[in-house]
Amino acid sequence: MFGPRVVYGVRPNLQLSFASPFHVTHGEHPTGRFTAMMPGVPEAEVLAGWRFYHATPGIGTRNEATLYFGGSATTQKLPRSDSPPLKREPAVYAALAAGRVARSYDIWAGVGYQRYGEWETGISDHQSNTLLSSLAVGWRPPFLNKGYPKPDLRLFWETTGEEVGLARLQRTPGGITPGHGHDAQSAVARPFLSTIIPPPFSGTSILRNSGGTAVFSGPSLLCTYKNFAFQGGILFSLFDQPNGYQPRENVRAALGFSYYILGRRK
Amino acid sequence: MNLRFSLRIPILVLTGFLMAAEPLHAEYLKIQLRVYGLDCGLCARGVAASVERLDGVKTVDVNIKTGLLEIELAPGNTFKMARLRKVIRENGFRSMEATVTAIGAFNASAKFEVTGSGEAYDVAQGPDKDRAPVQLTFKIQ
Repeated sequence: MFGPRVVYGVRPNLQLSFASPFHVTHGEHPTGRFTAMMPGVPEAEVLAGWRFYHATPGIGTRNEATLYFGGSATTQKLPRSDSPPLKREPAVYAALAAGRVARSYDIWAGVGYQRYGEWETGISDHQSNTLLSSLAVGWRPPFLNKGYPKPDLRLFWETTGEEVGLARLQRTPGGITPGHGHDAQSAVARPFLSTIIPPPFSGTSILRNSGGTAVFSGPSLLCTYKNFAFQGGILFSLFDQPNGYQPRENVRAALGFSYYILGRRK
Repeated sequence: MNLRFSLRIPILVLTGFLMAAEPLHAEYLKIQLRVYGLDCGLCARGVAASVERLDGVKTVDVNIKTGLLEIELAPGNTFKMARLRKVIRENGFRSMEATVTAIGAFNASAKFEVTGSGEAYDVAQGPDKDRAPVQLTFKIQ
C-alpha cells in the first residue's frame, strides 16, 4: 500500500491533514487502520488536529496532548474472497494522543476509533469499525545527541493494539446486492460464495471473515535533517486473532518520507 | 546673494522634516535567548527560519542541547524583543531569560532604554548622569 499524506499547520495548535492511501496490488488486506494517522483501506481522509494542551517545562522538553477528528470517503473498492466488495460508507475518525518529548527520551500514548456510517438508501452494507491504541517509547542515545544542524536520529519501540469489528453485507437471492455496484464483481465472487457462504438468501449477513483482534510490537526509527524526515519501522505480531478464515498477519512494516515547508534559512 | 539665502531656508526646513519622520533605529546588537521546548532539529530549524525573517537579524544560531538561541543584529536595526518573544510563542515554544547587548541610554525613570525601540529595562549598572548613549550587556527575564 502507498499512502501520500499532506499536513498543514494552520496555527501552532491547529493542523489539517489529508491522506489518501491506495493499494498498488489487489488481494485481501487488513481492514483496520494502517497507522493512527492513515486509513487502512483506500480512502481519502481529512483530519483536524487540535493541540489542546501544551507545556514546555524545561530545556528540550515538551508535554502535549492533541485531539484529532475527521472524516473519510472510499476511493477504491477492495476485493473480498468471500463476497463481492462492500459498498463502503463514509466514516468518521476521532483520536486522542498525549506524550512527553525530551532530548533523551519520548513517551507517547494514543487511542482512536473509526466508525463507518449507515446508508439511508436501503443498502445494509457496513464496513468494520476499528478501535485502536498505541504506546511508543523513544530513546535518543547519547552518541546520537549531536545537536542542530546535524541529522537528528531517535529510536522507538512501539506497541499497537486493534479491535476490528465485523463487516455486514446486504444480500439478495443469488448473492448479488443490487443497485450499488456489486454486480460487476459478483461473477468473480460467486465460486467462493458457493463454497463458503450458506445458500443464497435475502437480507443482511454478517461477514464472519472480517475483523479480529491483534497486538503488534516492534522497533522504529525517526531521522530528521534540514526540512526532511525519514521514518520506518517493523512490527511483529504478539497476538493475532482474526475472525473466520482470514490469514494471520505476522509482520507489518512501514516506511515514510516527509518534507516540511518551514521557510528558507539565510 | 539674497536669492540664494531665500532658497536655503525651505530646503533646510524640508530636510529637518524628513529626518524627524524617519523612524529611530533600535540598537540591539546581540541576544542570547533561552528557549524551552526545543527538542529536535526540525523545531530548531523552524524557529531559526522564523527569527531570521525579523527585521535587522543578521545571523541566528540554535543550540538544542542548551536551548540557547543566539542572534546577531545588523547596526541600525528596528528590532524589538517583544516581537522576538511573540515569534517564539507562535512557533509553540517558550522564551525565557536573555542576555542582551544593546546601545541605549538611561531614561528619566532610571531604566536603560534601547535606542529607538521604546523598550526599557532595569539593569544593575545604574543611571548614567549624562544620559549619554552607552553599549551595555545585561540580563533580562
